[in-house]
Amino acid sequence: MTRTKSPLTRLVVHVLLLAWVLYSVLPFGWTLLNSFKRPVDANMRIPKIIGFEATSKNYADLWLYMPPEEFAPIGIALLALVAMLVLFALWARRGTASGPTVTLVIVGVLIAAALILPQVANMAPFYSYFLNSVIVTVGTLAISISIACLGGYALARYTGIVGVIILVAALGFRALPRMAFVLPYYYLGQLSGMYDTHILLILILVAVNQPFAIWMLRSFFMEIPREIEEAAMMDGAGRLQSFLRVIIPITWPGIITTSLFTLLLAYNEFLLARILTQTNAATLPVAIAQYTSGEDASYITIAAAASVSISLPIVFVIIFFQKYLIKGLASGAVKG
Amino acid sequence: MDRKTFLTFISPSVAMMLLLMVFPLVTAIWLGFQFITFRNLDAPQWVGLANYTEVLTDSAFWEALRFTLFYIVITVPSQIIIGFLVALLLDQVHRFRGFYIAASLLPFIVTPVVGTLIFRTMFDRAGLYTYLLNALFDYRLVMNTATVRALIMLHGIWYTTPFAMITLFAGLQTLPQEPMEAATVDGANALQKTWYVIIPHLRSLLVFISLIGIMDAYRVFDSIFVITKQNPLFKADSIMYYNFKMALSFGQIGKANAMAVITVIGVFVVLIPFLITTYRQQMEER
Repeated sequence: MTRTKSPLTRLVVHVLLLAWVLYSVLPFGWTLLNSFKRPVDANMRIPKIIGFEATSKNYADLWLYMPPEEFAPIGIALLALVAMLVLFALWARRGTASGPTVTLVIVGVLIAAALILPQVANMAPFYSYFLNSVIVTVGTLAISISIACLGGYALARYTGIVGVIILVAALGFRALPRMAFVLPYYYLGQLSGMYDTHILLILILVAVNQPFAIWMLRSFFMEIPREIEEAAMMDGAGRLQSFLRVIIPITWPGIITTSLFTLLLAYNEFLLARILTQTNAATLPVAIAQYTSGEDASYITIAAAASVSISLPIVFVIIFFQKYLIKGLASGAVKG
Repeated sequence: MDRKTFLTFISPSVAMMLLLMVFPLVTAIWLGFQFITFRNLDAPQWVGLANYTEVLTDSAFWEALRFTLFYIVITVPSQIIIGFLVALLLDQVHRFRGFYIAASLLPFIVTPVVGTLIFRTMFDRAGLYTYLLNALFDYRLVMNTATVRALIMLHGIWYTTPFAMITLFAGLQTLPQEPMEAATVDGANALQKTWYVIIPHLRSLLVFISLIGIMDAYRVFDSIFVITKQNPLFKADSIMYYNFKMALSFGQIGKANAMAVITVIGVFVVLIPFLITTYRQQMEER
């Protein structure tokens, strides 16, 4: 569009956009503020924006079953570990180490640390819900993306009618209300003893995510010219080998984009987790739901701390992967 | 790629979908014909179409359906209109564009249960908006059926508009220059350009967003769960939420499955034309 606008028009546009952004994020700011308040301040009829006594007690109560002072050395050790991982990532970017390997090492160390933490510190149940969320998200991501890469690639290269039928059927599955297949799982899970296990939730999330993942990955694989893998196959590589060694590395940005949306789906899912888990495999959305019905005045601040804790990983995703997110949202829509 | 390689590559993915979506769907249809509660999980009784007739004559089911349709009619057009306006504004600026986009994406991608709780907190007794409504408009917000329903709609718009905004903004980036310039030469004003050039260009995208919007609004659950505080007095059940209650609160598993099957039929009535279009399109493109 023409962009020869007067400064006044431009100012008005910015003001309108700022108003929109404010409307979008104001609730988050308010909850962030609440999470540092004492219940008595959070329940004031005339809201206190400044001049309340800030406290980190809500976070300590939410995460720890031990005095924060005793947790401090462990916390410092964790921060040191994260700092080392950041340094490692920076060092790896300069060298020749491949991106996927570095990512795997970092994720592996973080998961190991997360699993060891409850052995050395007395963590509150919220931490075990957090761990469940991590297990379910990572499990869903790993299974979902590996099989969807194979499927998406096959759909991008095969021109037979079966491919089209699978694609259209997948779209139909995407539209299925969750209720239509979760109740049978509930029933079968209760009968078989799989109810409230991580694996049941992971498998069903993988299935829910498949239609979307194969469609999106297919669109990324279609952008890769066929000549590339044909050249690799001429050099004696098999179909699978040329796919793993040649195609996957060039499609990596597309795979990251698809992974991000899979991650969000698994991390954010409430209905399936609420129905298929109780305590053993309950994830963060299920955990926070217990704060949604209470009228207890002290709930506001602890629920705020829980909200901020759950949202923080997502905020990191937006900050570090914004480019991929927007690319995914835009490409899925423009092509879909 | 030959057929055999194709089948090998696609089989894990298709097996997952068949085993984990089609099989349970068939089980749901079968369970819909049974009388099952928590007490006789292992010994269901065949009752034929009784569950289906019970659902179809259940006034609470129709009430939930009515509210869900109302939710769709209000939120889907609103999210598209607001999303389109913001996308037009975004298209006018270069500076801070990344910031505007990142910040407005937050409500859309944050965990829905959390996002709803955060949104609801603004309207709680000690919430900021409750205070502002009182201070600026002298309006005392009290939670009742009407206000809870209004909050659910308001949240729906807040939550989904960023998706419409970002996809329409992406669509605006592919707008060809010539028709816009031709319109300028012909003396069209901004409104006429929007109506005669921009909207026709975005037509297929608008259809796509409406479709996604309708499907997602039809399945609205998380926000109802949080905003009503699971209090039946507010009478704001969506079909998904009523279905959930039927299974987990009332323990009527057979009836709940029959209801789920009926809602699937409802989805496909809307979806089938779209599936046919996609099929034709893909057949042409291959």
